Amino acid sequence: MSILEYNGAAIIGMAGKDCVGIASDNRLGIQYQTVAMDFKKIFKMNDRLFVGLAGLATDVQTLDQLLRFRMSLYELREEREMTPRVFTNLLSNMLYEKRFGPYFCEPIIAGLDEKGAPHLATMDLIGAQALAKDFVVAGTCEGNLYGMCETLWKPDMDKEVLFETLAQALLASVDRDALSGWGGVVHIITKEGVISRELKGRQD
Amino acid sequence: MFGSSLVIGDDILDIGSHKFDAGRTDQRAIGSGAMIPARLALGEPGQFDVPDVPDPAHFCRNNFASACGNGDQGQSVKFAKGTTTLAFKFDGGIIVSVDSRSTMGAYIASGTVKKVIEINPFLLGTMAGGAADCSFWERNLGTQCRMYELRNKKRITVAAASKLLANTMNSYRGYGLSMGTMITGWDGTGPQLYYVDNDGTRLHGRYFSVGSGSTYAYGVLDTYYRTDLTVDEAIDLGKRAIYHACHRDAMSGSINNLYHVTRDGWVKIHAIDVNDMHYEYLEEKRNAMASS
Amino acid sequence: MGDSAYSFSLTTFSRTGKLLQIEYALNAVANGRTALGIAATDGVVIATDKKFGSSLVDASQVRKVEKITDGSGFVYAGVGPDYRVLVRKARKTAQAYFREYRETMPVGQLVKSTASVMQEYTQSGGVRPFGVSLLVAGMDGDGVPRLFQVDPSGAYFGWKATAIGKGYVNANNFLEKRYQEDMELEDAIHTALLTLREGFEGEMNGHNIEVGVVSKNDGKFRLLTPEQIQDYLDEAN
Repeated sequence: MSILEYNGAAIIGMAGKDCVGIASDNRLGIQYQTVAMDFKKIFKMNDRLFVGLAGLATDVQTLDQLLRFRMSLYELREEREMTPRVFTNLLSNMLYEKRFGPYFCEPIIAGLDEKGAPHLATMDLIGAQALAKDFVVAGTCEGNLYGMCETLWKPDMDKEVLFETLAQALLASVDRDALSGWGGVVHIITKEGVISRELKGRQD
Repeated sequence: MFGSSLVIGDDILDIGSHKFDAGRTDQRAIGSGAMIPARLALGEPGQFDVPDVPDPAHFCRNNFASACGNGDQGQSVKFAKGTTTLAFKFDGGIIVSVDSRSTMGAYIASGTVKKVIEINPFLLGTMAGGAADCSFWERNLGTQCRMYELRNKKRITVAAASKLLANTMNSYRGYGLSMGTMITGWDGTGPQLYYVDNDGTRLHGRYFSVGSGSTYAYGVLDTYYRTDLTVDEAIDLGKRAIYHACHRDAMSGSINNLYHVTRDGWVKIHAIDVNDMHYEYLEEKRNAMASS
Repeated sequence: MGDSAYSFSLTTFSRTGKLLQIEYALNAVANGRTALGIAATDGVVIATDKKFGSSLVDASQVRKVEKITDGSGFVYAGVGPDYRVLVRKARKTAQAYFREYRETMPVGQLVKSTASVMQEYTQSGGVRPFGVSLLVAGMDGDGVPRLFQVDPSGAYFGWKATAIGKGYVNANNFLEKRYQEDMELEDAIHTALLTLREGFEGEMNGHNIEVGVVSKNDGKFRLLTPEQIQDYLDEAN
């Protein structure tokens, strides 16, 4: 079994009209044993930028701390917030720095850029970037997530429709994956603010 | 042996139209699958194609690990590998309770698998391990049990039935069959429960749990099991143990199928979504905390 | 280095609390050719005198205004070779920044990092301070024109307009009179040339001065060619 599938995860980033959303499941397992049902996989970097980390839980937490360290330093030095594009490049570089001993994480970056337009990106565990206009997915049920997103995504969804789409795509996907699920969380990022909601999911 | 020399038609007519003749001098060993005519005895050793090598079992183990019970990696054959099944005897009979999830790796292939196999109105078998192996050999066991009934004009005992299955398992030992099953039923000696697996192990016991979620189920069974449970309490115990296993074990889940075996044969009690059980038990826990 | 008798910094405090090496470095700057800069509403101009001791010098082979990033450039007053070290370090820092963030290094960051380098040379062992003051002109993605001065001590200031080098006192007086808040880039270029002419010995032409410009039009820093400079000079006459 791949070390990326050791703990289990399902994360989606999705673009709407003037808004962008990111959703994840809640499970932390050790292979097939479910250990926690409230594990945080999405991290707020600033009011307009979230990052989701799928993969080995210990690296998820380490990477979050490292990213927050770099973000804080940047904000103090430059006296401005990091844009999603710069953040994506920073993270990509951080991952490639560990080319021969990587963090076992696949990140999803969702944010609004300076113009308020959605920015979605994902990368592999050594930092190869892939930008998307519609949606990005990561985790142990990546295939399921792609299937649901391909089916449900429509252009120019408003924040409520985006929330519903993310929730349905996530819940349906994790119901066919043994390693993720046990509820989830959705964050919708808009210029006016962030809407965060918890999802009630199957508990098996 | 002699099976291949018989004509089917003769034999079927023989079984159906003539009374059993205990004095028959042919070589049939009553109740043995080996004595059933070749084309009826599906699964008889010799009926499956095996690799043409001196030691086919060894060859299977080394080359078809993915299709064998022992190799768990990259399996290409659909197996109900992750499972929770349990059964226990008590004063009111036997409870058999199982989940219904079938997985291929981490992918949930099905959530509506029947893991209790109704061998006959008085016998139940449970399914853990390879879905194909379990269904096939327990169906085969049903055939053998029926043959026994027809020949002997009486129902087979659970002990004998489980022994038939154990013998079959033994004859394919090392070929990579994958099954862990419980054979239960009510016979002349009362409620009986046996555990049989692909190693040929056959155990008699008061309660068993088999599958990836069995440890969780055992946790509940070990804590709450008593022989003097009422039927309702027993049903709740069977249900609860499966719920806890499904909650913690990624490979178990979906529907809880529960059977009650009595003097009059088995009855299917319920098929409940374990997710509904989660909220039912959550409510129960809240009430208990509020009142304490 | 560590144990050598000369490993301490040359820039040590005098009894009166002064860092004489820095003051000497500033003297070197004050002896250098005049350089000046003006930030207009829609761009920035930096310019410098490029006269030599001998008429035999090939002026086209000498560069005093240097581009650092797409949107920023340096000019200096003081010791030429020291300047080239700073230019090389600044360019490398800017490229490292781009490599990390895939975004051009902002002018403010460029000034800070260059100032850090200059400060380091006032406190390290076995080195001397840089004998230059820099003018940094540039524009970030936001389109705001920026002009900074960095001194040998590592101190830096933001200016609307300023001058450094030999004629800086007179040039600053001139700029104070001529500078206007709503000045546009074209005006600023003319003002810069006029200011430079004030202290200039002899006739100014496209070859004995250098001018660097960043305009809001494209946000790019570029050097004016001798022909372009001559055109501006002709316009003024």
